[in-house]
Amino acid sequence: MPSMQALERDQALTKPAYRILSEKFGEKVSRVTEYRGDLAITVDRAAWKEAARTLRDHPELDYKLFLDLCGVDYLNDESRPDRFEVALHLYSVTHKHHIRLKTAVPEKNPTCDSLTDIYKGANWFEREAFDLYGIAFLGHPNLTRILTHDDFVGHAMRKDFPTGKRFVSKKPKEWLLHVPKGSEHLVLNVGPSHPAMHGTFRVQVLLDGETIRDAAAEIGYLHRNFEKMAEERTYWQIIPYTDRLNYCSAFINGHGWALAVEKLLGVAAPARAEAIRVILSEFSRIMDHLVCISTNVVDLGAITPFFVVFRAREEIYDLLDSVCGARLTVSYVRIGGVAQDVPDDFDARCRKTLGWIREVADQMENLLTRNKIFADRFKDVGVMSKEDALSYGWVGPCLRGSGVGYDIRKDHPYSGYDQYDFDVPVGTVGDCYDRYLVRVEEIKQSARIIEQALAKLPKGDFITHDRKVALPPKSEVYSNIESLMNHFKLVYDGILAEPGEVYGYCEGANGELGYYIVSEGKKYPTRVKVRPPCYNIYQAYPEMIKGTMIADAVAMIGGLNVVAGELDR
Amino acid sequence: MPKVTIDGKEIEVAQGTSVIQAAELAGVRVPRFCYHDDLPVDGNCRMCMVEIEKFPKLQIACGTPVTDGMVVKTQVTSPKAKEAQKNTLEFLLVNHPIDCPVCDQAGECYLQDQYMDNGLHDSRTVLEEKIHKRKVVDIGPIMLDAERCVVCSRCIRYEREVTKTNLLEFVNRGGSTQISTYNGGPITHEYAGNLVDVCPVGALLSKDFRFKMRVWFLKETDSICPGCSTGCNITIDHRDGEAYRIRPRRNVEVNKSWICDPGRDLYKIIGTGRVTTAHRAGGAVVAQSDLIDEVVSKLQSAGPSSAFLATPRASNEDAYAFKKLAESVGGRLDFRVGNPQDKVAVRKDQILQREDRHPNTQGLLNLGLGVTGVDALLADCKAGKVQVLVLQDGGLLREAAVAEAAKNVAYVVAIATHQGPHLAAAHAVIPAAVWAETDGTFTNFDQRVQRFKRAFDPPGDAKPRWEIALDLLTRLGKPVNAATAADVFVEMAVETKAYADLTHRSLGPKGRAAAQASA
Amino acid sequence: MATSVITVNRDTRPGYYPIFYGMWLTLRNMLETLFVKGRSATIEYPEKKRNISTRYRGVHLLTAREDGTPKCVACYMCATVCPAECIYIEAGERPEKKIEKYPTRFEIDLLRCVYCGFCVDACPEEAILMSRENDLVGTSRAELVIDRENLMHRGKLAEVGTGYRPVDHDVRRPVRVAALERLKSEHGIVPGMPNRS
Repeated sequence: MPSMQALERDQALTKPAYRILSEKFGEKVSRVTEYRGDLAITVDRAAWKEAARTLRDHPELDYKLFLDLCGVDYLNDESRPDRFEVALHLYSVTHKHHIRLKTAVPEKNPTCDSLTDIYKGANWFEREAFDLYGIAFLGHPNLTRILTHDDFVGHAMRKDFPTGKRFVSKKPKEWLLHVPKGSEHLVLNVGPSHPAMHGTFRVQVLLDGETIRDAAAEIGYLHRNFEKMAEERTYWQIIPYTDRLNYCSAFINGHGWALAVEKLLGVAAPARAEAIRVILSEFSRIMDHLVCISTNVVDLGAITPFFVVFRAREEIYDLLDSVCGARLTVSYVRIGGVAQDVPDDFDARCRKTLGWIREVADQMENLLTRNKIFADRFKDVGVMSKEDALSYGWVGPCLRGSGVGYDIRKDHPYSGYDQYDFDVPVGTVGDCYDRYLVRVEEIKQSARIIEQALAKLPKGDFITHDRKVALPPKSEVYSNIESLMNHFKLVYDGILAEPGEVYGYCEGANGELGYYIVSEGKKYPTRVKVRPPCYNIYQAYPEMIKGTMIADAVAMIGGLNVVAGELDR
Repeated sequence: MPKVTIDGKEIEVAQGTSVIQAAELAGVRVPRFCYHDDLPVDGNCRMCMVEIEKFPKLQIACGTPVTDGMVVKTQVTSPKAKEAQKNTLEFLLVNHPIDCPVCDQAGECYLQDQYMDNGLHDSRTVLEEKIHKRKVVDIGPIMLDAERCVVCSRCIRYEREVTKTNLLEFVNRGGSTQISTYNGGPITHEYAGNLVDVCPVGALLSKDFRFKMRVWFLKETDSICPGCSTGCNITIDHRDGEAYRIRPRRNVEVNKSWICDPGRDLYKIIGTGRVTTAHRAGGAVVAQSDLIDEVVSKLQSAGPSSAFLATPRASNEDAYAFKKLAESVGGRLDFRVGNPQDKVAVRKDQILQREDRHPNTQGLLNLGLGVTGVDALLADCKAGKVQVLVLQDGGLLREAAVAEAAKNVAYVVAIATHQGPHLAAAHAVIPAAVWAETDGTFTNFDQRVQRFKRAFDPPGDAKPRWEIALDLLTRLGKPVNAATAADVFVEMAVETKAYADLTHRSLGPKGRAAAQASA
Repeated sequence: MATSVITVNRDTRPGYYPIFYGMWLTLRNMLETLFVKGRSATIEYPEKKRNISTRYRGVHLLTAREDGTPKCVACYMCATVCPAECIYIEAGERPEKKIEKYPTRFEIDLLRCVYCGFCVDACPEEAILMSRENDLVGTSRAELVIDRENLMHRGKLAEVGTGYRPVDHDVRRPVRVAALERLKSEHGIVPGMPNRS
């Protein structure tokens, strides 16, 4: 039976987080579970804020990296006294440990203390939970809708909110900023449709000459409620939707999704599938970094690198096309493996593509790294301190640029990353230049990983033989009733996961891409929460640009690599 | 009462319970083909093997009665039982055709479900060696496919024990055994649909439902059959506001696992020939709100010279709201057109059907709707003493007596579900929902109050009858404090002794008996 | 493997050389594109088409039996698995007892379709495949809801070829292999795809 049952007390006391919290809060720590290696602690609402503070500040815990905060609606679970739950995910860089802190929120009085003064990153996540679930966070500085617009009625992610119900925004929000009357300052909208914006999101800035006095961001233009759709799809059917998250590196999203579901199911993909996934993920990462850097410098007026690197990107797309059957919307991973084996010329193609990557990466470096104009525009611009980066929940190249060497591929190896030899580059200052240098180095490291993976690409199955997870091979389906029935059941009933919840994560091109999945044992997941890396990153942007020049703001945005598909979901 | 331990869980069960039933009570479903809750045990499929302590061999769970202190291990805890079930399933599949794509049973097939739960074995058979039998045999309302049969004899036992018609039997032997009707003739009785439900695989399939929809798309809603006063428990299977079929829902106290074929066909009335807009005689469409205002003003001016004819097709909630409406203007009220009250408990056959073809005659009697006397009421209409006649069901105009009487009434209001030439006699037609489109309760011949649930929205402007009556009452200035059918039931329970301690919730899925000694 | 964190080198001593390098690179790329064959990254579309892979997931196809009727038996697997809910099927009865069922209507809304290829994966009859057709143009929404006949006779198929289709990598389970070998040795039968027509 599912091991989502609460841990025995003596077993729970071996977990430092539980021991310290229960010493401090006693009975208010109501439940602790460990499922598929995920430690989850439920506390009473009254202790919510202080529990989070303890997790952050206690030296033995040190959960400084804010990852995710979301609401969950357990409308159909009658065993729960309270309808909603708020789940917080944190990470301790020093102890290399993830934790989930939860608290129940009743339907009648859906409120909860805000964590905004503990973690800066909580701000937008709490707004999102308010927007989608109607959970009010007490003490939040600006509790307004974030992903839906102001003409939206109701809370879209609630289980009793009908799917497909739409509201048309009649009047877009004109003012994001509070402009004092009689102010001589100029208000400027950057985006949602603006050449210097990397996607459809918007920043409104208040300019004093060329200096930004105030700034506020608005997102949600590309919001399609992926998470709601996922609640009405089987685990398998969600795969194509993940391609549309960070569409610059679509494959990694699917990889992460497959890993999360495999974690939930407790199955593993065969070694060959994992190696194929690693190779394609690394190619996607390279592609993402190339696009990020080259579009960033386009904002600064340098168009040459853009044309140069797109040559390699085109080769990677061709490679993805030959393996997956599509350039961008790859839909190639499956739960328990990949859709089909790689083509015969895979190795040759990969090596050819690597050649292109090396060539253009060198050219790009020659064009940029020692370029005086470029360095002047990037050095000491957009400095993010280590502490703030963790508090905002920055991850990936941006966090590493600020000097924190957290890379999931190293710290929590998945898909066999522990077999490959590679380095994690970190910056020292945390400015745009560091973020650029980290990305350039990561391109080289990714190429290293690909070479090693290609060299020892294992033979064997490309998808698991587990009949509860993977479709049987077609020759079997055509010729025997057992596999045909198996095929039918998997298609119309989907993959059935035991009741339980996991947080699956992988190193996306932008950093930790997490999927928090809650299963109640049904055909469809009860809750899927994407932890989009750039949601945390973009959140810091309005604060970063305050007091800087408008031209520096433009230089900063590209290097943060905000992708609207992932930001708005 | 014997105590038995099933997979480590001890439960106490009634004397004579079989192991398979006890396991079900303990929350373990032992796989089965031939065992059926409402058929005699046969024990031929050997699928339900379990391990019982002190028995040297595995036993069939369906044919082994529980004794005190028995310790049973099902497939959940016993690898031996699991293996045996797996092997049985593999044998059953040896000659099974590769038919899932064309078989309507896919999605509710015991073979598929149990393969996924316990089997998951690789196939050792090859297509070319399979034995072929008769396929696509038309036997009346049923399509027979002998290749898909697992020879469980459920259908044969059903024919023998329930309908007592003995129309099906096994022919041939060994691997070639198959079911057949005598000389391939058709199934002639009115309970053929249940054969489809008892068949655990796709051997017997409904001709009516054939290829219409895949069952996994269908949503199930618990309901009550409105076909006669028996009140069989049913499930309506529907998708996107369209009903595709009706299946029996097990209720041992009413219909066991059976319903009749006429009841099964009733889903067809939901989607065809419906009244969707308010209109006047001749079909001129008017805004529903305007028409209701007009009806209100007519009722206000008519006062006691109005008459109200209820219908035993209406739910208790409908009837109660209608009664309130009649009382509010002081009009005459009755429902007994065609004297259904005399037939309410009279059997039509020895299985389920009753002579009274209305679902709620008893409910209306309980509510005291038969007051004025229907003959007197109609006679008054005929004599021109009635100014406004409100018909709770437009279909009442199909009755000659009502149609005749309505001719002499200045203003006839029909709350109608279905269109037809008879509606020409009505001056105002208000569209109404059928039972599947609203919540409500019926009281069957046996005073059992049973709840049915809303499966989907009514078409067009149609509304439930209770809602229309409440709307009229509100506009007449005498509102009833109720927003849902459950609220109306609460109001009704206050005034009606029979339902005094009942609510929609307390009725549960299987209904409860009304308190006696009312009406 | 031990964590190997390296610190990036910020001390790059920037200068003006990269600006001239950029000019040279652009000139070199221009000349190479003009004069070196196969160096150009662009093609003259639509006169020339990209060389897309044989796995490409383009517009769907319905395959036919030898008698020209659709291979599809209207089992609804594709419509069930479709994450975009773009497939609409109505089933009818065929006179042949071996097939029984076929689609009287089979429509795909290509504007809703996300070209994930799950319909191909889900098909138990090899009845739906994908072509490599990707330049889909229509003048109205209705035009791009294509019906059974259209799916069976895609005009451009001869030109573009088929794309994504089930490939059997022969990952048959050992017991199956044994059963098939027994069949071959005892009866001399080598089973292929079941003959359903």
